[in-house]
Amino acid sequence: MKKQSFKRRTFIKTSTFAGAGLALGFTFVPLVNSATGGRVSVSGEKGAELGLWIRIAPDGTITLIAPSSEMGQGVNTSLSMILAEELEADWQSIKTETAPVNSDYKNPEQPMQLTGGSNSIKGFWEPLREVGAAAREMLITAAAQKWGVSVGACKAQSGYIIHQKSSRKLGYGELVEAAGKLDVPSDPTLKAPEEYSLVGKPVPRLDLPDKINGTAKFGIDVRLPGMLFATVRQSPVFEGTVLSHDETAAKSIRGVTAVVSIPNGIAVVANNTWRAKKGMEALNPQFQDGLTKGLDCQKVRKQFRKALDNKGKVELDSPKVLDLEYEVPYLAHATLEPMNCTASVTDNFCEVWAPTQNQEMSLDVTKEITGFDEDQIRIHTTLLGGGFGRRIEIDYVTQAVTISKNLGKPVQVIWMREEDMQHDFYRPASMSRFQISLGKNGLPEKWKNQLAAPSILKRYFAPLGWFGFDPTSTEGAKELPYAIPDFDFDFSMVDPGVPVGFWRSVGSSHNAFYIESAIDEASHLAQHNPFEYRRKLLAEKPRYLNVLEKVAQDAKWGRRLQKGHGLGIAIHKSFGSIVGAVIEISSNTSGRLELHNVWISVDCGKVVNPDIVRAQMEGGFIFGLSAAVGEEITLKAGRVEQSNFHDYSVLRMKSTPDISVSIIESGEDIGGVGEPSVPLAAPALANAIFSATGKRCRSLPFNKHGVKFV
Amino acid sequence: MQTLKINGKKYQIDVEAEMPLLWVLRDDLGLTGTKFGCGIGECGACTVHINGQAVRSCSFPVAAAVGTKITTIEGLSHHNKHPVQQAWLEEQVPQCGYCQSGQIMATAALLAKNPKPTAEEVEDNITNLCRCGTYVRVRRGISRSAELMRKQRV
Repeated sequence: MKKQSFKRRTFIKTSTFAGAGLALGFTFVPLVNSATGGRVSVSGEKGAELGLWIRIAPDGTITLIAPSSEMGQGVNTSLSMILAEELEADWQSIKTETAPVNSDYKNPEQPMQLTGGSNSIKGFWEPLREVGAAAREMLITAAAQKWGVSVGACKAQSGYIIHQKSSRKLGYGELVEAAGKLDVPSDPTLKAPEEYSLVGKPVPRLDLPDKINGTAKFGIDVRLPGMLFATVRQSPVFEGTVLSHDETAAKSIRGVTAVVSIPNGIAVVANNTWRAKKGMEALNPQFQDGLTKGLDCQKVRKQFRKALDNKGKVELDSPKVLDLEYEVPYLAHATLEPMNCTASVTDNFCEVWAPTQNQEMSLDVTKEITGFDEDQIRIHTTLLGGGFGRRIEIDYVTQAVTISKNLGKPVQVIWMREEDMQHDFYRPASMSRFQISLGKNGLPEKWKNQLAAPSILKRYFAPLGWFGFDPTSTEGAKELPYAIPDFDFDFSMVDPGVPVGFWRSVGSSHNAFYIESAIDEASHLAQHNPFEYRRKLLAEKPRYLNVLEKVAQDAKWGRRLQKGHGLGIAIHKSFGSIVGAVIEISSNTSGRLELHNVWISVDCGKVVNPDIVRAQMEGGFIFGLSAAVGEEITLKAGRVEQSNFHDYSVLRMKSTPDISVSIIESGEDIGGVGEPSVPLAAPALANAIFSATGKRCRSLPFNKHGVKFV
Repeated sequence: MQTLKINGKKYQIDVEAEMPLLWVLRDDLGLTGTKFGCGIGECGACTVHINGQAVRSCSFPVAAAVGTKITTIEGLSHHNKHPVQQAWLEEQVPQCGYCQSGQIMATAALLAKNPKPTAEEVEDNITNLCRCGTYVRVRRGISRSAELMRKQRV
C-alpha cells in the first residue's frame, strides 16, 4: 500500500545541535531543483533548524513543526497523530509549533507553502510517517548499541525503547544524543494499519484545552512591547483612491499618533484599537473612482446572462426536456476573527505575526515592502480564528508591514467588521443553464450545461484569463459521476470586477448546487424517486453508490413522512472525498420552514481521526447551510451594501438542524475533509424544499427568494 | 482614574468613560481571551460576566462597569475546572476556538440562573455566532454542562 514513487522523492535529513537533541526533517528533492522550489531559498544549511520537522528534546518532549496553519480543522492534532503513530511516541509528550517559511514545509499537493484545498493529510501522510519511522529506528539502534544487543531484540513503545528479554528501558530523551550521531535509515519500515494504536482513533484534540480558557493566541492577541494599534479604511468602490481626509481631526482624538497611507486606503494608528477607530471616524476619508464604479447586482447578472446568451442553447428533441437557469450570489467569508496582522520592522529586521493560510506570499510581500533578504524576515503563523480561504490572501500582511515600516514601531492592524465585510475576496457569483433531455427510461440522454462565472485564479496567473480557463470555476460541473451518454459542459469567464477568492469548497460551492438540483429536477420530471434515480446513474461507480446508499439508509429514505415534512438528497465529490447528505425539513402552518435533521456519509479514503472528520463534516455542512439559507453580498453603486452581522445573515444555533455522520473507510486514496461537506447543503436543502412544498428554488439564498425559515 | 474589579483583582485605569469594556480588557489590561468579532453586539465573541450576567463587552461602556464584579474567560475557573469547560472538552466542541470564550461565558451565565433550561430557552439565550459551525456540539456541550453542574451540586 505504500506508494514507492512518492517515497523515492522524499529525502530525510538529520541535524543535531547543542542541547536540542535529535531533529529530523525531509525535503522533496525535485522541488528543490525546480524553479518554484528555489523561490524560498532559506534552507537547512543556512539555519540548522529550518526545514526540520520534529525535534526530540533531551527531556523527551517531541515537537512537531507543523507545516499547516491551524484554523480549526484540527490539523495540529491529526498531523501529530501520524507522526506519533510511527514514532511510538507517548502522546502526552507531543507539542506542536507552526513552521516558518521554508520550501521544505511546502505541501507537495500545493503550488506554494500555504494551507488550503483540504490537502494537509493528503500531502503529509506519507512523509510524516517516514520521518516518524526513521526516528523510531534510529532510537532503537541507539539503545541496542548502548546495551550491546541486537536491534531486533528491542522495541519502541510509548516513548521508550525496551529490551524485551531484560526488561531494560530507556526514554527517547535519554537516547537522542546517541541517535543523532547515526545515519538516517534510507528505507524505514512503516507500521501495518492493523498495528495502529492512534491513527483511526477519536483522539482528543491537542489545541482545545487552551481554547476554552482564553489562553489560545490568535493573530489579534499578539502583544509586543510598545506596540501600537491601527485600523484601516479602504475605498468602498474596489480599487478607488483616497480623495480627501482630515488628519488634524484624527490627531485630535486622544491616543491617535499617526495617519499612514496604504494601498487603496488609509490607516489610523493609536495606542488602543478603539481610539484608532474613533480616529478613523474623525479622519473621515473620502474616496474617488475605482474598478467597480456604478456596478450593481442587476448589471452583474446581465453580464452573466449575456455570456450565456452568446453561447446559445441546445435544441432538444424529446418529449421530456428541462431548460433551467440557476444562479448564486457573491458571499463573504466573515471569519469571526477579523482580518489582522502584527508587524515589527526595524532598520535591518522584520518580524510578522499573521493568522495566515499563506506563509509564502506573506514572506514575498514582506520582502517587497522592506527590501530585506529572507534571512532578515521571520513570519510567525499564529492560530487562525477561521480561514475558509480568506486568509490565503495577504492584504492584511501588506498593510501591517507597510505601517510598521513607516513608523519604525511594532503595529497591529485590526479591521473593523465593516471593513472585513466590504473588502473580502468574495465567493464568486455565477449563473448556470441546463438543457437536459430524458430518454425513454427517464434517465438523462443529453446534458448540456453552460456556466458563466468569474475566475479566481487569473489574479494569480494572468494567462488563465486570456484563455478563459480556470479549474476552480468549473470543478464539480465539468465532469459528472453520472452515466449520461451525451454530456457537454461549457464555461464562459465573466469578470464584473468584484474581487473574488477561494471560499471553502471553491467551485463546488456553486456547482454542486447547480448539478444536484438539476439532477433532482430530472428525477421528478421522470417521476422517479430522487435516490433511486441517482442510484441508477451511479451503477458503475461503487464508491459513490456506497456513500449514497449509506446516507439513504441512515435517513431511512422511503419511510412515511409526517405531514408537511420533506427529504432532500445530494451527493458530490470534491477534494478527493465523496459526501452524501440527506436533510429533513418541515413546513409549518404559516409556511415557514424548519430544519430538523441532517445525515451525512463520507468516503475520504483513510481516516486519521474520526472525530475530527465528523467535526469537519458537521461544520462544513453548517457553513454551506448558512450560505444557502441567508447569506448574500449585494452591490450598489460599485460598493458592497452589507457591513456587519446585522445585515449579513449568518446561521445561529437556533436554526441549526441536528447532524449525524457516517464515515466509510474505503481504504482508497486519502481525500480531504475540511471542505467536501460544504457543497452538499444548498442542493440537499433545495431538494427538500421541493419535496416538502413543491416549490423549486433556483437561486440563493433561499430566504431572499421567497422561502421563510423558523 | 477608574477602578475595575476583574476576576477578583483590582485594576486602575485612565480611559474615556465611553470606551467599550472590550478594548480596556484587551488593549489596556492584556486580557485577550475576550474576543472582538463585530463591535455591535451581534456575534457574542466578547461576552463577559458583569455581576454574573452575560454582557457583550464590545457595546458596554467602561464607565458602567466601574463598581461591578467583572469575570472574563480567564477568571472563569482554575485549570479548566468549570463544568462548562469540562463539558466543552468532553464534547470536543471548539474548532478554530475564536468564538468559544463567548459561547462558554454565555452558557455559564445561563446555567447559573437556570440550571435546567429547556431546548427553547437554550436556543433563545445562546445566540453567539460560530463560523466553523460547531453549533451541534455547542448544543451538546450545554446539556452536558447542565448535567455536570447538577452532579456537582448533589
